[in-house]
Amino acid sequence: MKFVQLKRGLRAGALAASVLATGMAGAPYAMAQAKTSVQLGAIEVLSGPNAKYGVSIKSGFDLALSEINAAGGVLGAPLAIHYEDSAGNKDQAVNAVRKLIGADKVSLILGPTLSGEMFAAGPVANAQKIPIVGTSTTANGITALGNYVFRTSLPESDVVPVTLKAARDKLGVKKVAVMYGNDDAFTKSGYDVMKAALTKLGIETLTTETFGGKDTDFSAQLTKIKAMNPDAIVVSALVQAGAGIMLEKKALGFSDKVRIIGGNGLNSPKIGEIAGAAANGTLVGSPWFVGKQDAANVKFVGAYKAKYNAEPDQFAAQAYDTLFIVAKAITAAGAADPQKIRDALVNVKYSGVLGPSAFTADRNPADTSGVVVLEMEDGKFAPLK
Amino acid sequence: MSAFFANLLFTYQSLIYGLGINAILGLSMYVVLAIGQLSLGQAAFMGVGAYASSLLSVKLGLSFPVVLVAAAGVPAMLALLVSVPTLRLSGVYLAIATIGLGEVLRLFYVNWDYAGGALGLSGIPDRGGFFTIFGTLALLLAAAFAVGRSRIGRAMEAIREDEQAAGVMGIDVPRYKLAALVISAAIAGIAGAYNAHVTAFIAPGDYAFDNAVTILSYALLGGIGSPLGPVFGAFLLTALPELLRPLHDYRLVLNGLIIVSVVIFMPRGLFSWHMRRIGAAK
Repeated sequence: MKFVQLKRGLRAGALAASVLATGMAGAPYAMAQAKTSVQLGAIEVLSGPNAKYGVSIKSGFDLALSEINAAGGVLGAPLAIHYEDSAGNKDQAVNAVRKLIGADKVSLILGPTLSGEMFAAGPVANAQKIPIVGTSTTANGITALGNYVFRTSLPESDVVPVTLKAARDKLGVKKVAVMYGNDDAFTKSGYDVMKAALTKLGIETLTTETFGGKDTDFSAQLTKIKAMNPDAIVVSALVQAGAGIMLEKKALGFSDKVRIIGGNGLNSPKIGEIAGAAANGTLVGSPWFVGKQDAANVKFVGAYKAKYNAEPDQFAAQAYDTLFIVAKAITAAGAADPQKIRDALVNVKYSGVLGPSAFTADRNPADTSGVVVLEMEDGKFAPLK
Repeated sequence: MSAFFANLLFTYQSLIYGLGINAILGLSMYVVLAIGQLSLGQAAFMGVGAYASSLLSVKLGLSFPVVLVAAAGVPAMLALLVSVPTLRLSGVYLAIATIGLGEVLRLFYVNWDYAGGALGLSGIPDRGGFFTIFGTLALLLAAAFAVGRSRIGRAMEAIREDEQAAGVMGIDVPRYKLAALVISAAIAGIAGAYNAHVTAFIAPGDYAFDNAVTILSYALLGGIGSPLGPVFGAFLLTALPELLRPLHDYRLVLNGLIIVSVVIFMPRGLFSWHMRRIGAAK
């Protein structure tokens, strides 16, 4: 909106004038810009049932923020993040995005946490030409919202094919049964991705079964699947249902060779806690793994543990890298101007704890080389050998 | 200075719209509560209005007035169908039946691929706006007062106080109940359409049980003595979380504390005054 930019212009003008009035010569505009810190906004779920994601993300940002500012910030000024809580509610996410743009005058927005929030909040930021960068939004169609909408989280469509390819090449999986929760946006879009990847990799799908996210009984589907004798079961589910399927599979006497291959929904240590030994052998793909031994990751995990006294999860890792990517883009842009930052963001290349990152032409993450295929062993995920 | 106001309006636009939309929802709840019925289907009717209007806007590109007719008409038709078996229910039984309706509809949206299934429907065009929303609210409020002060309003109050006595006095109780449910469904549907067209995205989970309870709490917090109660209740419950935003981590704590205090100390709601009736003794 013109008004917003006008107001920003007026403010910068007033600052410049005040600098001149106090008798400081030189390039007043540039100095006024350099004196004030660069303002970013972040909308995360900090309360309610999904708060664990938002809190992890905030921890990741805060750690990166303190490191960036300790090293001198960007453009010679410290970086500042205004946090807003969306409570997992799309209406509140929209309120937050409007407040950040209208009242706090941020140059870029990080978040929101959930894809559903991004579908509501993204178009608002896009219409104001303020870049908005999701760090945890994996659903299809996020970046199609507009030219100012970015994400650094690998969508399932990038991770799942890597997992399935590893299962085919390393474990000889040729025919599978598919199960997915059909009442949840995340598990349904995960299924769409699995279906496409299975076809592309030439893996045969024997049957496709559905369930509800709150179901506790999967015996009908699994009995049918057992009779078909698949090499593996591909599951798109969240933790609760996923663990239920594993327990039921063990109870029905499936061979241990028949593994569960999951999407990001099963990429949680909780799987091992709930399903115990029944979870052994479960395969998931992950953009990041806590035990990765490269120098950047070891430093990140160490610093995170020192600051929060807890292990980071992938959401914290993604947030941590994202802030460095954004900082690099602001430096490249040379000013805290949303349009310049957006143009710089498209071209930024960065290598962090998730491995190398860059954006594709449609503002999705370009590099999948950081994806690790993990295998559940005695309640813990470890890289598949 | 106008830039300042334009900026203020931009910042709080969706909050302001939310106030109007939720007040309309509060009124839709009031219409059923006024007759002594407890419906938890308002969120479901809102969802039907939202889905019907969004599909017409997104898939067929119809103009907004046409879309609004459908947003009111489709939930009203559904209410008519639903009320046939549920008309004999009252109190908590009607509440349970209407919760069931919401759940059935949620599962229906989830499995309806044309409407986006579990992924929801995005890219809904930005329609409506300040004057449409608050114009509708003013109109409905005026209508609620006009009806409330008329013979019909008196009959409704009679049914709320004692159904059997009202029936004996010659009031056609089932017809009133039916009309109240259908009208409240139509109002909720319109609110659903406004909400969908200002937030651009809807999903099946948006109209589930939580929202039904939230809508009920607008009416209960505000009080149901007059139509203004639910409207102010909705204003308060919508504005509070945003007004408390500067408190960051403590805002939901204080939000809950305020609501609990109101319930404990003002059990009849914040605005417990009654409408004056024509010819009523002062």
